[in-house]
Amino acid sequence: MQTTTDWTFTLGAPHPLWTVSAVVVAAALLLALAFVEGRRLRPRRRVGLVLLRVATLLLAALVVLQPTWTRERLEHLSGRVAVLLDASRSMTIDGPGGRERRAQARKLAQRWAGEATPTAVSVYTVGDRLEPTTLAALAGAYPADEDASRLAWAVHKLVSEDEAGDLGAIVVVSDGADPALDAHDGVLSDAGSVALGVRVHTVAIGAGGALKDDAIADVQVDPIAFLRQDATAHVTLRSIGGAGARRVPVTLTHDGSVVRREDVDLPADGEASVDLRFTPARVGRALYRLSIPVEPGDAVPANNEHAFLVRVERDKTRVLLVSGEPSWDERFLRAFLKSDPSIELISFFILRTANDLPMAPASELALIPFPTDELFREYLGTFDLVIFQNFDHRPYRITPYLPRIRDYVRRGGAFAMIGGDGSFGSGGYGGTPIADILPVRMPSGKTAASDLVDDAPFSPRVVDDLSRHPLLALLPDPRLNAALWRSLAPLIGVNRVARPRAGAQVLLQDPNARAIDGGPAPVVAVGEAGQGRALAVMTDTTWRWGMTSGGEGADPSSYARFWDHAVRWLTRDPSFDPAQLTTDRERYGIGAAVQVDGLLRDGAYRPIAGAAIALTIEGAKGHVVGSTVAQTDGDGRVHAQMTAPTTAGGYEVVARREGAEAALASVGFIVETGGRELADPRPHPERLEALSKATGGHFYPTPESAPALGAFDATRVRSLGVVDVAPFAAWWVLVAAAVLFGVEWWLRRRWGRR
Amino acid sequence: MLCPPLGRVAAATAWPLAFACAAAWLGAAPPGRALGPTSQVDLRGVSVGDAPEPRPTARQRLAWEVRKRTSVQTRLEPTATRFDDPSIFATPFLYWSGDRAFRPLRPAELSGLRRFIELGGFLLIDDAGSDAFDASIRRALARAFPSRPLRPLPSDHVIYHSFYLIDRPVGRVLGPDHMEAITRAGRVAVLYTRQDLGGAWARDNLGTWTYSVVPGGSGQREMAIRLGVNIVMYALCLDYKDDQVHAPFIMRRLGARP
Repeated sequence: MQTTTDWTFTLGAPHPLWTVSAVVVAAALLLALAFVEGRRLRPRRRVGLVLLRVATLLLAALVVLQPTWTRERLEHLSGRVAVLLDASRSMTIDGPGGRERRAQARKLAQRWAGEATPTAVSVYTVGDRLEPTTLAALAGAYPADEDASRLAWAVHKLVSEDEAGDLGAIVVVSDGADPALDAHDGVLSDAGSVALGVRVHTVAIGAGGALKDDAIADVQVDPIAFLRQDATAHVTLRSIGGAGARRVPVTLTHDGSVVRREDVDLPADGEASVDLRFTPARVGRALYRLSIPVEPGDAVPANNEHAFLVRVERDKTRVLLVSGEPSWDERFLRAFLKSDPSIELISFFILRTANDLPMAPASELALIPFPTDELFREYLGTFDLVIFQNFDHRPYRITPYLPRIRDYVRRGGAFAMIGGDGSFGSGGYGGTPIADILPVRMPSGKTAASDLVDDAPFSPRVVDDLSRHPLLALLPDPRLNAALWRSLAPLIGVNRVARPRAGAQVLLQDPNARAIDGGPAPVVAVGEAGQGRALAVMTDTTWRWGMTSGGEGADPSSYARFWDHAVRWLTRDPSFDPAQLTTDRERYGIGAAVQVDGLLRDGAYRPIAGAAIALTIEGAKGHVVGSTVAQTDGDGRVHAQMTAPTTAGGYEVVARREGAEAALASVGFIVETGGRELADPRPHPERLEALSKATGGHFYPTPESAPALGAFDATRVRSLGVVDVAPFAAWWVLVAAAVLFGVEWWLRRRWGRR
Repeated sequence: MLCPPLGRVAAATAWPLAFACAAAWLGAAPPGRALGPTSQVDLRGVSVGDAPEPRPTARQRLAWEVRKRTSVQTRLEPTATRFDDPSIFATPFLYWSGDRAFRPLRPAELSGLRRFIELGGFLLIDDAGSDAFDASIRRALARAFPSRPLRPLPSDHVIYHSFYLIDRPVGRVLGPDHMEAITRAGRVAVLYTRQDLGGAWARDNLGTWTYSVVPGGSGQREMAIRLGVNIVMYALCLDYKDDQVHAPFIMRRLGARP
């Protein structure tokens, strides 16, 4: 133990510089005045008056400025040494000589473990957490599995929690991969280092070696995107020690399919950015994956991939309604679609045909042309749903556009055809591309026109097996729902079609009429067409479920419910998916608990009850990283708790019947860490050097240059007391100045001066 | 010719507004055959008490004109009903014409009228030229819809350009320069005209106009027919012609007219 005394001088009164300057200038002026006034006096008298003026001014200045001497007695103690060894994933990167960085750190730990140290030593690993350990343990097995290097946080934590006050120094052994060290977050800034009060010595790991790495350094993407509207991922690539400038393909995939691929000119040892546009096609949570090729010798292949989640929402459901003629069916459907604020309706009605004689020139008509090309070529893809309501395509030169409509549906769009004498076979759709997507087959062209319709009234029969389908489940209670359907007003007339296509579902039938090729005539049928969906309503009187049923005492809202459900099912409202899977969160930490909940129903919306369901967590390319088996209850609901993977990235929980290949449902989630540990694999010795410099410690550029553990300066300085000496902070100094001023004044008057 | 606002609006703002176009394509449309009588638009008559329909051929003639001039498939033999008849809900259009006072509506009739309007029905009332009928109508509507009085229909309402461009209502007589209406949920549910539209439409089986129009001659009758077509078209298409895309066409044509 050693004691020293430290003196410091300050001005006691906190005067600003301009005050001190003003005092000095005023004193100089008053002194000069004393000289001028004494010019005609005898020399001895003049000298006497000047001396009196000097003494007066000096005392006045001392009173104003209050010079103070502070004496502090300091005690120098030998303190404890805290050793922080970096255990983050970046320590697995190869350093100089092709050895992992942690091998260098481990060798240093072995050296220190074999030394006898005169001071107390505490050893910690630091990553995302601060964990106590021993040098002997690290000498045996050096961990490097933390997903962040929170060095600045760890230093601050050790100092702030040093309740015993015995911490003398901190020794950091790291590659410096903590961006917070650059951030001057207050702890390690110049001002912060004063408050820190503890020297931080640093030993750089991994510095000096050649590193070769391509990485997806950063991805900026809005967390929310809108259905069928372009979204953009701003991707930054970084090349370190690469083989010169080159062109690198960046690939964006979703659901295993390539969404976009762009080539980026990546400079040697530099960064390049690219914007990748993508257009979500489904509402809900969407998992996207970015990747760049892994070159031979790439230091960190893991940072060549990046996953992100986007929550896809629907701005508005854009519906195109094309009606062949004004009718009550068209009127009530338009009224319903217009009443829903979530629907943006674009409607085109044929108000006049070539056979009509309006008896007026065009200038007296409120009619405008049919923009077929814009609708069915330019903007077709912007619609969520296209409805042909009693619309015969043949007179309006729509036929060339029918393949486009088919392709639009197969790519994920939706199409509905509503009955009338211009629909289905009566509208000449047999053998057209529209027939390829409709859930019912068209009769052949040889069928007589009179056989294509049946105008008898009928009460449609709900197909029992499909009574839970959203278009039929107008009420949640099956019994009440069945009663509701029985109470609705009869429909009048059907378009007769052939049997449904394979995979299609007939929901309502006309119990009296026959399909063209036998069997009950379908009235409402649904089906998938590629990625899209299609609905066929073989009648033009569903409006009677509203007005007529209401007048007969039934629930008139049935009409709106039916069409609301139809629009939502056609446009793939996620709440209408037969099998649904969710996780309690979208993002998890490493190894966190993932709560999985699901509602599993078959294609007919019947609950998959009492079934064993295999739930797997799958990474890129379907790689399974976790699994469990859960049992569904009577309603098809399944619950399970799983564990998030130990590697950051994008994953999906996939539900299958146990032993089956086909997935029932899936949902994506992200495993993330506090930082992007491997995004920048470069060692940063300059950060460590700055840390040492700011805290009065020493920096060692290699582990070999680090001294023995006992040789680190771990001296603590403790103050034993402070004494302030302010000799002019007394009343007599002011009195003395006044007396001297009075004597000078009296002598000047006596000697004839004023 | 394509629809300019479609391209402009869509390109600029990605469909910010709902809009619609009517088609006036001159292709060869096949003759229509609806899926039964219900699919055809029935210009159904309604009456109260024993008062006869003053213009019994008017609806039939209007149905014929609508079918001839537009793509709407009308029922050429319109039916009739009463407000207390349960079949009133079988079709959403009712035409009520009168030329004399009638007794107050009975509770069942009031209930039927109210329910018909609530469920989306459209009622056209045509005063065939009697102040007594006018007084009875106003009394009946005040009882049926006490919180929704008749209000003048503005001259720029979509009814005036739902098919033809029309400046003012005219019928057999010139009448007031406006119609009156009761609106519900943003639509005209009850339309009341005092121009005796039926008088201008009525025609006998030999093709002779039953009534002379006053004071205007054949032009006035034609405008009365056009108004009838527009009213039917409005009942079927609602505010379709107010959709954004129609506006520049209609304004241009209105501006070009003398």
